[in-house]
Amino acid sequence: MLNDERYWNIKLLNKWFAISSIIFMGSFIWMFIDDNDDEFKVYQRAFRKMEVEIAESKLLSEIDKIKDERLLYDEKLINAQKEFDLKRSELDHYILQLDTAKAKFYKANMNFLGFKAIVDAEKYNYETQMLKNKNSNKTLNLEKTYFNQVKELDELKLIKENKESLVAEIEGNIKSLSSEKVEAQDELNKVLRDVNIADRKLKKLDRNNMSFANKIGDIVRDLPILDFLAPYYKVEQVVLPEIKYNVNFAHVPEVDRCTSCHLGITNPEYIDAPQPFTTHPNLDLYLSSSSPHAYEQFGCTSCHAGRGRGTSFTSATHTPSSEEQKKEWEEKYHWHEMHHWLKPMLPTKYTEASCLKCHNNETYIKGAEKLTKGLQLISQNGCNNCHHIETHKPERKIGPDLRRLDEKLSKEWTGKWIRDPQKFRHNTKMPAFFGQSNNSDSVSVQRNETEIATIVEYLFPNGDKNKSKNQKYLGDKDKGEKLFNTIGCKGCHIIEQNPENIPQVVDQEILFRQHGPNLIGIGTKTNPDWLYKWLKNPSDYWHDTAMPSLRLSDQEAKDLTAYLFELKNNEFEKEKEVELDKIELDNITFSWLKKAFPVEESKQKMESMDHRDKVNYVADKSIRHYGCYTCHNIDGYEQDKPIGAELTYEGSKSIHKLDFGFKHDLDHKNYVWFYEKLKDPRQFDHGKKLAYEDKARMPNFYFNDDEIEAIVTALLGFNDDKIGPSLLAETHIPDQQIYKGNKLIIQNNCQGCHVIDGVGGHIVENYSSSEFAPPNLNTEGAKVQPDWLFKWFHDPYTIRPNLQVRMPSFNMSDEEWNSIIKAFQHRDNDLLDFASDLTYDISTTHFKAGIKLHELGACNNCHFYGKEFPVQDPQTWAPNLALTKERLQPEWVIEWLRDPQAIMPGTKMPAPYLPDSDILSLPGSITDWGKFLVEIDGDQELMLEGLRDYLYSIEGKIDISSEIKDYFKKNGYNFDEEDEEDEEDEDW
Amino acid sequence: MDYIKSFIDYLSAPTISFTLLTVAFPFIFPPTDWFDKKNKEWGIYRLWSNKGGFWIFLLTTLFFIIGYYDPYFNKTMTKPDNIPIILMIYSMLLAVWWGMKKSYINDERIDRGEKPEEWHDPDDKVLVWPDLVYIELIALILFMVFLIVWSILIAAPLEEPANPAATPNPSKAPWYFLGLQEMLVYFDPWIAGIIFPMFIIVGMMAIPYMDINKKGDGYYSFKERRVGYFIFMYGWVVLWLFLIVIGTIFRGPNWNFYGPFEWWDPHKLEPLTNVNLSEYVWIKLLNTGLPTNILIRESVGFFVTIGYLFIMPLLLAKTKLKHIFEHYGPVRYATMMLFGLTMFALPVKMYLRWIFNLKYIIAIPEWFFNI
Repeated sequence: MLNDERYWNIKLLNKWFAISSIIFMGSFIWMFIDDNDDEFKVYQRAFRKMEVEIAESKLLSEIDKIKDERLLYDEKLINAQKEFDLKRSELDHYILQLDTAKAKFYKANMNFLGFKAIVDAEKYNYETQMLKNKNSNKTLNLEKTYFNQVKELDELKLIKENKESLVAEIEGNIKSLSSEKVEAQDELNKVLRDVNIADRKLKKLDRNNMSFANKIGDIVRDLPILDFLAPYYKVEQVVLPEIKYNVNFAHVPEVDRCTSCHLGITNPEYIDAPQPFTTHPNLDLYLSSSSPHAYEQFGCTSCHAGRGRGTSFTSATHTPSSEEQKKEWEEKYHWHEMHHWLKPMLPTKYTEASCLKCHNNETYIKGAEKLTKGLQLISQNGCNNCHHIETHKPERKIGPDLRRLDEKLSKEWTGKWIRDPQKFRHNTKMPAFFGQSNNSDSVSVQRNETEIATIVEYLFPNGDKNKSKNQKYLGDKDKGEKLFNTIGCKGCHIIEQNPENIPQVVDQEILFRQHGPNLIGIGTKTNPDWLYKWLKNPSDYWHDTAMPSLRLSDQEAKDLTAYLFELKNNEFEKEKEVELDKIELDNITFSWLKKAFPVEESKQKMESMDHRDKVNYVADKSIRHYGCYTCHNIDGYEQDKPIGAELTYEGSKSIHKLDFGFKHDLDHKNYVWFYEKLKDPRQFDHGKKLAYEDKARMPNFYFNDDEIEAIVTALLGFNDDKIGPSLLAETHIPDQQIYKGNKLIIQNNCQGCHVIDGVGGHIVENYSSSEFAPPNLNTEGAKVQPDWLFKWFHDPYTIRPNLQVRMPSFNMSDEEWNSIIKAFQHRDNDLLDFASDLTYDISTTHFKAGIKLHELGACNNCHFYGKEFPVQDPQTWAPNLALTKERLQPEWVIEWLRDPQAIMPGTKMPAPYLPDSDILSLPGSITDWGKFLVEIDGDQELMLEGLRDYLYSIEGKIDISSEIKDYFKKNGYNFDEEDEEDEEDEDW
Repeated sequence: MDYIKSFIDYLSAPTISFTLLTVAFPFIFPPTDWFDKKNKEWGIYRLWSNKGGFWIFLLTTLFFIIGYYDPYFNKTMTKPDNIPIILMIYSMLLAVWWGMKKSYINDERIDRGEKPEEWHDPDDKVLVWPDLVYIELIALILFMVFLIVWSILIAAPLEEPANPAATPNPSKAPWYFLGLQEMLVYFDPWIAGIIFPMFIIVGMMAIPYMDINKKGDGYYSFKERRVGYFIFMYGWVVLWLFLIVIGTIFRGPNWNFYGPFEWWDPHKLEPLTNVNLSEYVWIKLLNTGLPTNILIRESVGFFVTIGYLFIMPLLLAKTKLKHIFEHYGPVRYATMMLFGLTMFALPVKMYLRWIFNLKYIIAIPEWFFNI
């Protein structure tokens, strides 16, 4: 080729070609590296390093641990080896023998097996021939050959077995020769067990400790393209078929790859390791295979949410818990939001929301206190009255019944109350509809006044009833106050004028305390007439009320009425009355009419209405608009549906469906929206020009931050993930009634007075000592007989004779009582409904010993025996022993007598003294202890059984309420105040 | 600065920017003597000098620099998906500027009676192998390197993991399809999504057969083929690239228009009451109801469409464009008209929409046939 034919210099082009090829090669390699260098592999490499370090230190520590011991066994082994070497020639001899013996056995065995195959075939021939023709010659011939062959086979078997035993014998000889050495080796290995494990692990992990071939293999397995076989660095995943999330109506199982980076999450050794390697903080409850939430079943995203398939920090949709964390992540991990993923990881403070997926029926979810609180707030504040929540339907309308309102309230007070309930009672559960951020302008205020006035008119169809200032219901207010403090009112009610004294951080106990309304200003609100009747029988006025009857006598009710009627709110009385403006009434009427009818028709309709019609029309529209009837019983609205948006799947609602309005500075997260909505329900109207009827109308509950956080947690828990039945908590509960019972325990605020599960019972602070307060209900399920408890609930009578506080009579159905009993029983794993009465034999020695023990214990100092009063004064009185056989479960009584403190910490009941055999064998013991006790000779169980049996034999009157009442009527009830707890007594 | 930004926002509203471009284009690429005269008068041709090029690049770069520091524009431009757009704008400007510069130099040389710069002695030949193929191979390798490095440094413009239950707002096509997506605003899918793309491809394939102008072969020249140049530049830059830019930068939530420095407020509302031509005619003009017979109802639309596409070229062939018809012959003329008119149907329909809120010229939703 001639160079001058060329336009370009070929050498230069060659150079360019070479250069560009090299660059291309470089970029190609770069591409491989980049493609292969996934984020999770970086973490896995770092983790491997950490694992190697831990394995090394473990190996060293294991070696160190057995340092001394090892020397001993090493020496032993060396000695054994020496011994063994001496026997070498003998051994060689045996080994030679074994070789020949094995060969012979092999041959014999082959002969046997080969012939067996032939015999089997012959057997088949013979059998089929028999089936065809039993008696032919052929059959007989075959039979003969077959049996001959069987005989021959038996002989071959004999030979084989002979050879086999010979081999075994020689092997035994060899073994016995080397047994000492093997034993020594085994012993050494046992000592080295942990070292070997650590060593093996290290050899697997650390390239420096690997053999050369393994080292090469370890490198090759992770090379690009080859790494599809068995790489070391790979995505770790778990598929969770029982946990499904919603993708456009299809439910898809979760797949979690979180452990690709969170490598030490289930391993307690990494508790101090940095993220992402650190151990889960609560392995007892989560992830470990022995915990109730094993990793293989629950994975990670079922609780934390997020994109389980993500294998990089950002694509796993980690969610920062705070602004600072967000900044930190942005710098450290280049984190940014994944906008489209429906379930971004929950910030740590809301993680408890996920518990609700499986524990959806429980009222108290242990370990998820925030969620529990949120659920409780939701039902206590009637969120589920306005908002349908399929899994948490309301048991009743949470607000008071308004159908007989005129008996209780005046029109004036009612109007002022609706306008601003918090002005009357700062912590009322009635939310504020008016004076909010979207209706505080003068136009709205004017409209609202008239709306309220019409609602009041509607609620008082017959106008104000004659307000009776009737003195006949006012008793002694000092006695009333005393009664209020002791009889049990304070289990649910507070009287707290100052809002500052209401704690901002709400816990269970504070919810118990504020179960009923704060009774400030009750004298301003209502009249003695109503108050008296209400106290006597609350469910007469309001069938569904949570307020129980305390079975007050007429005088007690009058005294209490007098005390409560004294509680006034003068400032509220001075508030301006709500007034109805006629022009405004027309405006509102017309604006509502226009919504339903064409303008002309509306005008006509309006002209045909008189004042009364308009008032009723506006009242009806307002009651519907604000949804008053969803929380209160109001005549005429029984069939109407709640007005709020359904919240059953609120936690899964797409963010696009939450209207942030013009609030652009808020983070677009559902929990932010929920939080803000609860903080100021009307704020998303900000900046919008809306007709009044279209404005947001969710009322303001004035929740504090802590409460809002709890409610948001619960809202996030209402989601549409589908959990397989085997993971649902209710699957593991023997009876659904248990949940119902627990719900009732919360709804009826049992823990206002009683300690249940170690929580509650704040009423005790009104008494000088816990022994005068309602009992701790620890072990209640195992303690009392369910049928007795059932009857007692229906008709409570005195058990603890020196208590002023009363077990109220609750207005509950049989089914509800059964549920409560089941709930208690479940706590103690004792779900038996009916049990036989205890049978005992009064002629047995242990029964008689029981009588003696009882005498020695002087039970009658404190306990009643039917109508027979105790020896000591009322402050030490204890339950009627004649009641025992009806009330208590025999097994429980034994445990109780054994150690009362274990069951009721702090009880005054002493354990009866049980003499042991040493004491009983002392001279004169028969006189001291009686012959039966000596006969038993210190058998604790028998003594307890005897005592128990005796207690069950005590006869007498069971309900001694009237006797006790008479006693206190005569002697007064004043020991409680002066008394210091100095006597030993009971608390059961 | 805010003033400038809001001014740019104002200008970039498609109605204004599209009109500006449409008006400016004949002056920049003058297809007739009159425009050429104005071009010379106003000195627009100076754009194609080194100085002009410097200013083009300076202003464009300045725009992007200002944009980089604007929080909203920054968000749009730094998306990996939109980086090709910036490259596209620069490479388009460079290619056009470079081509025009060379054309103008050649035009002057031709005016002076000299040969164009690229002229070579026809006897002086170069071998394909290795001179051409070798260089092409090297260029290919280097370009592959560029693509690989690009894909490593800027991850493929995949978006975040999708949520099948919620489509993002706005949902945009890949950048190279955004021009088509923009057409969907004005045309029914079967036109914007099927007919137009087909016509674009077939039309471009047909260019060599329709273009019988021998001048300008193998060298840059504007003057010798200025009509063709103008039509191509308008079709490519305004009707294709600019629509891509609109789709990328100016279309936000709900497919509303947003200026480059405007925040994409999802609440922004634009009144949309589009009316069909048949409704204009029967209801507004004749004050009667729509005829029940579909064909009668849409007769005006059919008349307009057929008139535009078929009758008008015929009439023009007899009158104004007689010389062209004669020069090119009936087949070439018909083909050219079909493609040309279809192309110009796009701006025509856009303006009809903007000015008259015209929805469809022919609207037969009963048959899924809308134009």
